Amino acid sequence: MNNKIFTLIAGTLSVILFWIGWVSLNPSDKKAMARFISVENLLNNKISSRTKLGGIVKNGSIQISQSNQLDCFFVLKEGSAELSVNYSKTRPDLFKDGAEVIVTGEYRDGIFVADELQTKCASRYEGDLREETNYKLEELDT
Amino acid sequence: MTPLAGGVALNLALGCSVLSIISLLAYNRIGDYRLFLAGQRLGLAISFFVFISTFVLGYQLFVSNFDIDYVARYTSFETPNIFKISALWAGQSGSLLFWLFILSIFNTITIIQNQDRHLNLMPWVIITMSVIQLFFLILTNFITNPFEPTQADFVIQNGNGLNPLLQNITMAIHPPTLYLGYVGFSVPFAFAFSALVNKDIGALWIRSIRRWTLVSWLFLSVGIILGGWWAYQELGWGGYWAWDPVENASFMPWLTATAFLHSIIVQEKKDMLRVWNMVLIILTFSLCIFGTFLTRSGVMSSVHSFTESSLGPVFLSFVFIILTSSFGLMFVRMPVLKSPRKIESVSSRESGFLFNNLIFVVMCFAVFWGTLFPVITEAVNGSKISVGPPFFNQINIPIGLALLALTGIGPMLAWRGTSNNKLIQNFALPIILGLVTAFILIYFKLSAYTIISFSLCVFVVVAISSEFIKGVRVRKNKFNEIIFVSLFKMIEKNRSRYGGYIVHIGIVLMFVGFTGHAFDKEKEFGIEVGGIEEVGNYKFQLTRMFEEERPNHYAWITDLRVTDLAGNFITNLRPEKRVYFHKNPDINKRQPHSELDIYSTINKDIYSIFSSVSSDNNIAFVKIMINPLVKWVWIGGYILAFGTIIALWPRKD
Repeated sequence: MNNKIFTLIAGTLSVILFWIGWVSLNPSDKKAMARFISVENLLNNKISSRTKLGGIVKNGSIQISQSNQLDCFFVLKEGSAELSVNYSKTRPDLFKDGAEVIVTGEYRDGIFVADELQTKCASRYEGDLREETNYKLEELDT
Repeated sequence: MTPLAGGVALNLALGCSVLSIISLLAYNRIGDYRLFLAGQRLGLAISFFVFISTFVLGYQLFVSNFDIDYVARYTSFETPNIFKISALWAGQSGSLLFWLFILSIFNTITIIQNQDRHLNLMPWVIITMSVIQLFFLILTNFITNPFEPTQADFVIQNGNGLNPLLQNITMAIHPPTLYLGYVGFSVPFAFAFSALVNKDIGALWIRSIRRWTLVSWLFLSVGIILGGWWAYQELGWGGYWAWDPVENASFMPWLTATAFLHSIIVQEKKDMLRVWNMVLIILTFSLCIFGTFLTRSGVMSSVHSFTESSLGPVFLSFVFIILTSSFGLMFVRMPVLKSPRKIESVSSRESGFLFNNLIFVVMCFAVFWGTLFPVITEAVNGSKISVGPPFFNQINIPIGLALLALTGIGPMLAWRGTSNNKLIQNFALPIILGLVTAFILIYFKLSAYTIISFSLCVFVVVAISSEFIKGVRVRKNKFNEIIFVSLFKMIEKNRSRYGGYIVHIGIVLMFVGFTGHAFDKEKEFGIEVGGIEEVGNYKFQLTRMFEEERPNHYAWITDLRVTDLAGNFITNLRPEKRVYFHKNPDINKRQPHSELDIYSTINKDIYSIFSSVSSDNNIAFVKIMINPLVKWVWIGGYILAFGTIIALWPRKD
C-alpha cells in the first residue's frame, strides 16, 4: 500500500477512535449516561447522580393527580426495597400495577424524579399460562 | 397434520444435517462422487423437513390448537387469521424455527442453482450451510422446541393472544424482512468459507455471491426501515430510531455489509482487498448471529428483548466458533490471500472505497461500543453504565456526515487515480453549490451540524446528478437519441453502477429527514372540550370527545381541529385511547393502547397522542409533536429499494 494512503487511513482511524473515547469520557449531554444500580444501593448511599433503576410497580401505588393527569407518583419495588417515584410525562400503555419498569432520573429529597420510564414490552408473555388470560369467550358475551 | 409430525420432522432434519456433513467430509477425503451427491441430497432433505415442521406449526396456529404451548401463548380465538400466521415469529421458539425456515429456503435455492456450477466450492458451501442449520436444529430440537405440549393441569379455554402492538400489518412484515436479510448473509459467508478452504480466492467466488449479497442487503435495509416506520406509527414516542440494543443489532451487520458491497467491487475489478473482503463477510455474518443473540439473551435490557433464557451462552459459543474457525483459517491462508496489486493513488476510486469501508467499520465499532458499554464498564470498574440516544448521536453524527460526503466524492473519482484537472472539473460545481447552501443557511442562523448536513446533501445530489448528466450527454451525442432513451439505456447498460448512484440519492434524502429532527417541537397538555392550545405554528382545538365499543376493543376518541396561527383549517386529528381485552373480568389483564393520528406532509408531520382522560371534568391529556421532514426518510427508503432493485435486475445476455 502506498505510504500516503496508509498515513491517511491511520490518521483518520486514530482521530475517530480518539473521538469515540473522548465522548465516552465527556458526553456533552448529561442525560447520555446513567448508572444502572439497585434500588437498595440508591437508598443506602443516597446517590444523587443520574441513575437507572429497574423494578416492579407496587400494586395499588399508582397515584395520578386529578388536575394534571400527566403528573404521576408510584412506588417502585425491587426485592424488599421500595422507592417512591415521580414521573410527569405521557406514560407508556403498558404502565400499570405490577408492571416491570425501568426508570431513569435523579434521586432528590426522598423521591426519585424520573424523566424516562420504559415498560418491559409484553409482546412476549412468557409467564405462567394460568396467570395469563384464560377465559371463555361465550361466558363473557352473555 | 398432528403436532407430532412437526416434532418428528425436526428430528429428521437434525439427522439429515449430521449425515450431510459426514458424507461431504468423506467426499473431500475419498473423492467418490456418489458421496457428494448423497451430501447434496441430504442437504435438500434437511430443508424439506424444516419446511414440513414450519407448515405444521403454521397450521396449528391457524386452527388454534391450544394443546401446544406456543399456540396458547401467542394466539387466542380473537386473533385475526393473518396475525395467527404472523404469530409464527412472535415468540422465541417459533422465531428460531422461522429463522431455520428461511435459511432452508436459501439453502435449497443455492444447492439447486449450483448443481453444475462451482463444483469445487460446493462441498464446503453445503457443509458450512448444514452446520448453520445444525446449530438452529439443536436449538429447536433440544433447547426451545416450538412443539412443546402445554404443561398444565387444567384445560386451556383460550390462548393469551397477540399483543395489540403487534397486530399491525407492518409488524407482520418487519421481522421476516429483517430475517431474510440476516439469514441471507449465510450464503455469501458459506461461499467465502469454502473459498478459504479450497484456496480458490480470486475474483470468481466474489462474482458468484454479488447478487446474494445485494438481495440480503436489500432485505436488511428494508427490514430496518420498516421497523423504524412501525415504531413511528405505533409506539407513540414520535421517533423512528432510539439506538436500542436490538436496533443496533440490526444496524451493525448493515454497516459491515454495506462496506462489503463496496469493497467487493474493488476485488471484482482490480483483484485487490481480498483479505479485507474476507474480514468483512465474516464480521457481517457473525454480527447477524450476534444480533440474534442480543435479542434473546436478556444481556441487554431492551424493549425488544425476549425474557431471559438459557439461549445466551449457546449463541455466544456459536459466534465464538464462527469467529475462531474463520479467522483461524484465514490466518493459515494468508500467503494465498495477499493481493498481487496495490492501490496507486489517494485520489483513486479504490482509495475512495477503502475510506468508505474504513468509516463504515469504525461506525460499526462505535455502535458496538455503545451497545456493550454497560457490559464494558461493569467489567472495568464494576458499575453498569448505560448510554442513551444522546451518546450515540454525539458520536455518530460526525461519522455519518463523513459518510454522507463520501457518497458524493466516491462516484467522482476514477479508477487508479484522478488527474488534478479532472478533480477540479468534477468537484467545482458540487462544492460551489454546497458552499452557497451553507452561506444561505448561516444567514438563517441554523446550528452547525444542520448547516453541514444540508450543504453536504446539496453537494452529493449535484455530484451524482452531474454523473448522470455526463453519461447521458455522451450517449446522446454518440447515438443521437432523445434524453429519456439515453438515460434509460445508459442505466440499462450499467445497472450496478447507476443503481448504486440511485441508492446514494436515497441515502441523501434520508439524511435530509434525519436532519429535520433538529427542528422537532413537542408539547404535552390537558385540554377541555372547546379549549385551544398552541404548539409551534399551529393551534389545536378539542372539538369533541366520545366513547365507542368495537369488536375487540373499547375506544375513547378525541377530535382535534388543527389550524395555522391565522386560523386557516389544516386538518382534523383523531387520536384514540383503546383498551384491548376489555371484556376480561380481571382489570389487570386488560390492555390499554394509544392509537395515534399523524398528519403527514412533505415538509412536516403533525403527530398526536391521546394519553389519558379525566372523566370527572372531561379533560383530555394530549401530546402533540411537530416533526419536520420525517417523510423524507420514508421516501429515501423507497428510492434506496428502487436503486437496489435496478442494480439487482438480471442482464438479458
